[in-house]
Amino acid sequence: MTLMQTPKGPTPIPTPGPTPGIHPELSPPTDQPFFTRQKRQLVWGLLFLSPNLIGFLVFTLIPLVLSLILAFSNWDLRLHNDRKSAQLAAAGESPEWVRFVGLDHFIRLFTDDNFWYYLGNTLFFMIGLPIGIALSLISAILLSKDLRGGSLKSWVIIFFGAVTIASFGILSAIGLGSAGITILLTGIFGLILVGGSVGGQTIYRTLFYIPNFTAGVATMLLWKKMYNPVNGPINDILSEPVDLIGRTIGQLPQQVMNGILLLMLGLGGIVIHLCATRLLRLFRDGEIGGVSAILGLFFLIVAPVTVVVFRWLPGMTYDISVLMVTVLGLGLAIARVGIHQDFFATASEGVGSSMMLSVGGMSAVFGLVGLGLAFHHLPVASADGLTPPNWLQDVYWAKPALMIMGLWGAIGSQTMLLYLAALTNVPGELYEAADIDGASPGQKFWNVTWPQLAPTTFFVVVMGVIGGLQGGFEMARVMTYGGPAGSTTTLAYFIYTEGFETGRLGFSSAVSWTMFLMVLIVTLFNWKFGNRYVND
Amino acid sequence: MSTTDPNPPIQRGSNLRINPLLTATWMHLLLSGVAFIMCLPFVWMVLTSLKPLSEVGLDTWMPTTYQWSNYRDVFDYENPDINRRGIQFARFYWNSIFVASWVTFLQVTTSAMAAFAFSRLNWPGRDRVFLMYLGTMMLPGLVMMIPNYQIMIELGLVDTFPGLILPAAFSAFGTFLLRQFMLSIPASLDEAAEIDGASKWRVFWDIILPMSRPGLITLAIFTFMGNYNSFFWPLVMLKSESHYTLPIGLMYFDSSRGQSTHLLMAAVTMSVVPMVVIFIVLQKYLVKGIQLGAVKG
Repeated sequence: MTLMQTPKGPTPIPTPGPTPGIHPELSPPTDQPFFTRQKRQLVWGLLFLSPNLIGFLVFTLIPLVLSLILAFSNWDLRLHNDRKSAQLAAAGESPEWVRFVGLDHFIRLFTDDNFWYYLGNTLFFMIGLPIGIALSLISAILLSKDLRGGSLKSWVIIFFGAVTIASFGILSAIGLGSAGITILLTGIFGLILVGGSVGGQTIYRTLFYIPNFTAGVATMLLWKKMYNPVNGPINDILSEPVDLIGRTIGQLPQQVMNGILLLMLGLGGIVIHLCATRLLRLFRDGEIGGVSAILGLFFLIVAPVTVVVFRWLPGMTYDISVLMVTVLGLGLAIARVGIHQDFFATASEGVGSSMMLSVGGMSAVFGLVGLGLAFHHLPVASADGLTPPNWLQDVYWAKPALMIMGLWGAIGSQTMLLYLAALTNVPGELYEAADIDGASPGQKFWNVTWPQLAPTTFFVVVMGVIGGLQGGFEMARVMTYGGPAGSTTTLAYFIYTEGFETGRLGFSSAVSWTMFLMVLIVTLFNWKFGNRYVND
Repeated sequence: MSTTDPNPPIQRGSNLRINPLLTATWMHLLLSGVAFIMCLPFVWMVLTSLKPLSEVGLDTWMPTTYQWSNYRDVFDYENPDINRRGIQFARFYWNSIFVASWVTFLQVTTSAMAAFAFSRLNWPGRDRVFLMYLGTMMLPGLVMMIPNYQIMIELGLVDTFPGLILPAAFSAFGTFLLRQFMLSIPASLDEAAEIDGASKWRVFWDIILPMSRPGLITLAIFTFMGNYNSFFWPLVMLKSESHYTLPIGLMYFDSSRGQSTHLLMAAVTMSVVPMVVIFIVLQKYLVKGIQLGAVKG
C-alpha cells in the first residue's frame, strides 16, 4: 500500500539499456541485477493498476471474504437491529451479538425442501440451454451462407416475391374488409424480406440480435403483458387453434394417443441407441477415453431409464429405481466399454465431448417422452374443451412461459455471433474434401462442421451453465415474484428474498456460497477439460 | 451444378447442391419468417402504446384511433386523471443516463490503466495478480451483494448515485478485454517511443490509448448498455422515487398503475428504442467485441 501512495514514481528520464519486452522470458537476463530498475517497474505497474485494484479490493475481495464469514454467522436483521438492541437495553439485558454458528446454515439448507425445489427450478430453466444453443447454431449456419453470392436474378425474384406477398396481403385485407393489421404485418414481412434480399445477412443478424440486446426489465414487462391470460395477445391468438385441437383430439380414441406415446418412447430408445453407438465409435477410434465413455453411457442411460422405470413399474419407490438403474447402467456401460479399442486414448480424454453428446441425447429423450405423455393425457384434459394455459399464473406453465421468453432472446445471442465467427474459420478444403467423397449435407454437418465447432460449443455450454446457475433473478422479480407457489424461484431470487427482504443475511450468504461452489465446480471442469478440448 | 459459373459464390460452409436460386429464395423466406416472428412482440408493443385506455384489453391489435398523447402522458406524473397519470419518466431517463455515463467513464479509465499495467509493463508478480483478476470474473456477483450493501450503509451511500456508480466502476472483464486488445498492438511502437525518451505515462496516453480505440469503444458500449439496463443493484440501493433509474421506474410504473398498459407500453417503447438505435449504429463494434471477449484462456 505504501508503494501505491508514492506520488509520482521516478522521474521519467529515458531508461538506460535495452527496454524489456512484454514477455519476461524475452528480456535479457542482464536486466535482473538492477534492483532499482525492477522496483521502478513495480512502482509504474502499481501506479497504473491502483485505481482498478483499490476498487477491486473494496468491492470484490473484501466483500467476498466478509460474505464467507457471514455464511457461518447467524446475522439476522430481525434479531440484530437497533430497535431490538434498544429494547433489550431498556429491559436491562445486554444486546444479542451476532454469533458464529458453524455449519448450521449449510445443514439447514440441505435438509430444506424449499432449497431443493429452488435448485430444481434453476436446473429446469437450463433445459432451455441446449434448445437455445441449437437454435443459435441453426441461425448461424443459415446466416453464414452468402446469400448475396447468387446472380442479380435471384434478387429480382426475391424482391418481386416480397412485393407479391405484400400486395396479396393488402388486397386480401381490403377484400375481406378486416382490420389493417393484416396489411401492417404483411407489409412488415415484405419489408424484412426485401431488406434481407438487398442487405444480405446483416439485416437478419440485426433483427435476430435485437431481442437479446434490448433484454431487460422493459422487454420483461412487455412479455408479462403479452402473457396475460385474459387480455394478452398470446392467448387471443392461441384460443381458437387450441380449442380446435381440443375438439379434434377429444374425438380420437385413446388407443391412438397410446400409440403416439409408444412411438415417442421408441424414438427415445432410438436416440439413446444412436448416441450410444456414436460414443462407442468415438471410444474405439481413440477420440475419448474409457472413463469418458463410461460416464457418457452412464448419463445417457440412467436418467431416462430411471424415469421410465419409476413411472411404469408398479411398486417402485424413487430410491430403489435410482439404485437399480444406476447399477444396471454402470454395469452395462462398463461391459460395453470392455470392447477392443483400436486407438489408445487416456482414460479421461474427451470428457467434454462425451458429456455433451450424452446430455444432448438425454434432453432429446426427455423431450420426446414428455411430448408423448402430453399426447397421452390430452384426451382426458380436453374432455370439456381445451383452453390456452394461464402462463405466468399457472404453477406448471410459469416456467415454460419464462423459457419461451428466454428463447426469444437466445436465438440471436452472443452464442450465434460466436458460431458465426467460428463458421467462417472452418477451412473450406474440408468441405471440398467431403464433396469429393460424395458426402451428403447431413454427413458434412456431423463430420465436418460439428467437430470444427466443438470448442465454441463447449465454451458456450460452460458459460451457459455458469450463467444459468446464477440466473432467473430479473424474470422472477419483474414478472412473477418467484411464484406461483415458488415455481419460478431460482437460487438467485432465493438469495435476494432471504437477504434483502427477510433479512437473514447469514443464511442468504450461505446460499450464495453454495451457488458459488457449484459455479466453481463447473469452472474447474472447464479448466481441466476445456483447454485440451479447445486446442485440438 | 454448372462448372462454368462466371461468378462463383464464396463456398465457406455453404452447400448449394440444388438450384442455387431456389435455395436462396427458401433461405430468405425462412430467415425473414423467423425475423418477422422475433419482431412481433415489438409490433404489439408499439401498437398498444398508441391505443386509448378503452381498447387496451381488446384482441384487435390495431388501435381505432391513434392516441399519440400517450407518449406525452408518460411524463405527466401530476395528472389528476389516474388512468392518464405517468411517472417521473424524464427524471428516470436522466438518472439512468447519468449513472451509466459515469460508470462507463470510470470503468473504461480504470480498466484501460490496469490493462496497460498487465500488457505493457513488466513488474514482478504481474501474472499472478492477473490470474487473480481472471479468477474473479467467474465469481457470481450475488455473493458480494450483501457485504457490499453493508459497506454502502457504513459509507452512508445507500440511495445515492455514488453508491450506485462506485461498485460498478471497476471491472475485471473490462481489464481483460482491453488487455487482449493491447496485446495485439506491436510492442515495437512503444519501445521506439521509450528510446525517444517518452515516459510510461506518455506511452500510455499517446500511443496505446489511441491504438486501442476500437477496444475502448466496445467496452464503453457494453458498459453503458449493461448499466442502462442494470437491475439488481439499483433495486436494492434506491429508496426514493426521485433516484430511480429507468428499469426500477418501469417496474414501479407496472406495480403502481397496473391498468394503464397503454402508457406502460409507451414507456417501454421509449426505453427500448434508444437501445435499438445504439445497436444498429454501433453493431460493428459490438459484434467484434463479443467475439473477442469470448476468447478466454
